[in-house]
Amino acid sequence: MQSFLEIFDIYLLEAMVNGILLGGLLALLALGLNLIFGVIDVTWICYAELVMIGMYGMYFLVQYYGLSYYVAAPLAIVLVAILGALLHYLVIAPLLSAAPINQLLATGGVLFVLQSFATVAFGVDFRNLGIRLPVLAFADMHFSYSRLLAFGAALIGMVVVYFFMTRTYTGTAIRAISQDRQIMALMGVDTKKIYLITSALGGALAGLAACLLVLQYDVHPFVGLSFGPITFLICVLGGLGNFVGGFVAAFVFAEIISLGGLFSDLEWGYVLAFGFFIVMMFVRPNGLLAKRS
Amino acid sequence: MSKGMIARLMGGTVAAIAALGLAVSAQAQEKKIKIGVVYDLTGPLAGGGSDLHYLGAKIMIDNFIKQGGVEGYKIEAVYADAQSKPDVAINEAVRLIEQEKVDMVLGFYSSAQCVPVAARVEQLKKFMWITTCISSAVLENRNLKYVFRAQPSGSQFGEMSMDFIEKNAKEKFGKDPKDLRVAIIHEDGAYGVDVSKGNEAGAKKAGFNIVLKEGYAATAPDLSALVTKLKRARPDVIFHTGYNPDITLFHRQAREGGLKFSALIGHGAGYGVYTKLKEGLGNDVNYFYNVDPISIWETNQKSLDQKLLPLIKMVGEEYDKAKPGTTIRSAHVGMAASNTYLFFTEVLAPAIKKHGGIDPDALRKAALEVDVPEGGTMLGFGAKFAGEGSPVAGQNMRAAPVVVQYVDDKAYVVWPKSQAQKDAVLPFPAGTVYSAK
Repeated sequence: MQSFLEIFDIYLLEAMVNGILLGGLLALLALGLNLIFGVIDVTWICYAELVMIGMYGMYFLVQYYGLSYYVAAPLAIVLVAILGALLHYLVIAPLLSAAPINQLLATGGVLFVLQSFATVAFGVDFRNLGIRLPVLAFADMHFSYSRLLAFGAALIGMVVVYFFMTRTYTGTAIRAISQDRQIMALMGVDTKKIYLITSALGGALAGLAACLLVLQYDVHPFVGLSFGPITFLICVLGGLGNFVGGFVAAFVFAEIISLGGLFSDLEWGYVLAFGFFIVMMFVRPNGLLAKRS
Repeated sequence: MSKGMIARLMGGTVAAIAALGLAVSAQAQEKKIKIGVVYDLTGPLAGGGSDLHYLGAKIMIDNFIKQGGVEGYKIEAVYADAQSKPDVAINEAVRLIEQEKVDMVLGFYSSAQCVPVAARVEQLKKFMWITTCISSAVLENRNLKYVFRAQPSGSQFGEMSMDFIEKNAKEKFGKDPKDLRVAIIHEDGAYGVDVSKGNEAGAKKAGFNIVLKEGYAATAPDLSALVTKLKRARPDVIFHTGYNPDITLFHRQAREGGLKFSALIGHGAGYGVYTKLKEGLGNDVNYFYNVDPISIWETNQKSLDQKLLPLIKMVGEEYDKAKPGTTIRSAHVGMAASNTYLFFTEVLAPAIKKHGGIDPDALRKAALEVDVPEGGTMLGFGAKFAGEGSPVAGQNMRAAPVVVQYVDDKAYVVWPKSQAQKDAVLPFPAGTVYSAK
């Protein structure tokens, strides 16, 4: 009993809080991907690679052009937003009526194009922004400012997207389109424009994630490998297109990784998280928060 | 058909055959060895050090090409990119052998690639010269005939670092080995696992208290749970084996997580690329240790074979040309250059002279006869390969890494004592980021 109680120490609390902060980061990543899926019904497999391009954008703006972080961040967000719109215009739009697998393969192709482009254009070196944020110490626990920032941004991003979707005309149109793609064109909504706006918004969210990730991770052409699969799983776990589900799933996933890693081997944390994912796919195939049909 | 026409036809045929024969003999006269060179030029391992090994090997190969080859054989190199993936490494090695018809393969950065590629190349009965990957699993108990490695093995890495701490425990930490708390953390690929085994064996031999031994995926997006566990385990010394992105992530999260310890010893790969460490971690890297074969620019030049000195200089100049702005020349470039040089001078040349050519058996015989004393390679160590029947057949038994410490943007050899350029700063001086004081 004594040894059992020993695990309830300050480190457990720290691991839990770290799990929440990691959850914020993952939730932020999942937000944009969910938006795209919810509206356009297309999964951007290359989403994490857009984030990677955004991170390179941040790196060059800060390191080469000497801009301050806060000036560079909006520029990087705009850059990735444009990239998102371009992705839709050039790749997704011609395939909108094609089979879903074709769309998936096309964005998969874009993934390799972006990775190879980054390798050729920027080289294989690991690059670093060189910004070192202070550490937040509290009652023997230490937390990362960059994670706190990401957590805050995920929360704010979530709220902003929610209000945008519910309180603005464009947002309402976006939601309407996600319910019925054909009928909305008959109602006088310019679906092409709405798709383009949504893609740009999805890109902007990837850009926002990039601005925060670059504070903690080195930039290299393959950084997307660390986040792409896990982001995709979280979206599926939460129910593709379900914002709140994705948000909850990110925290559940992160806590399993964090606490699983603390109590057992680090790798077991991931095994447990992915095991949980598989079980949930049987129990709730439409996502954690889906209504039972 | 007139007689004249027949005569002309025959004459023409004879001339054609003669011309063909001449061409064949001209080809036979131009002797050539075709070498397939495999490193990772793309993917995460490229920036983690593989591209530097590629550079080192290329500098040396180009040097021999410029000299007109070895013992009358011209040299042709065919470079291939393993893309940081074991399956691609296997496919490329096989493609080089079967389609490009190379006579042998050379290179290989990642242990995860080396293990399967060595088996495949052996199956195809071709000669393989490993310049880089260190995992013991590549050769151990496999009795490979055509695979040779000039580089020290992973367990030698792991034991070297433990030996260094053991010999310094009492003097520097004021603790008996049994009271010294050590943590072993590593990426969970063939390379990390192998070095960690060497670490564990060394720690048990020294009698250290192992408070944590843990692996993680090099692409893991988060290592904060590892940091928290280390905080709970309170190690004095951390023995770490990793590639580049995971090393920087770990240290960034360790700093943010308020982890304190007294010394950190890295084992090659990411820890060998100081410029990148410094860029990612700033002054936090001050006083870190790294175990690797010595940098060829740091070897004690008096103890080296003097004919190697101009070559060391040449490799350094070519390196600076290829990568301007390097603060500390990475040991990686020198490792591949030295191990490639060893092949050309000590294996290829005798194979041609004494064993009649460049076929795998001639190369193998020559490799088994290599007997280079200490100081005979640019890396300071000698060369003698374990032969058939040995549990580590193909391994250079005279290879050994050294322990280097980074102090104020300079790298000093601190262990073994015979090579030491400076006394080790151990534990971290008070006031440094990881120091408890």
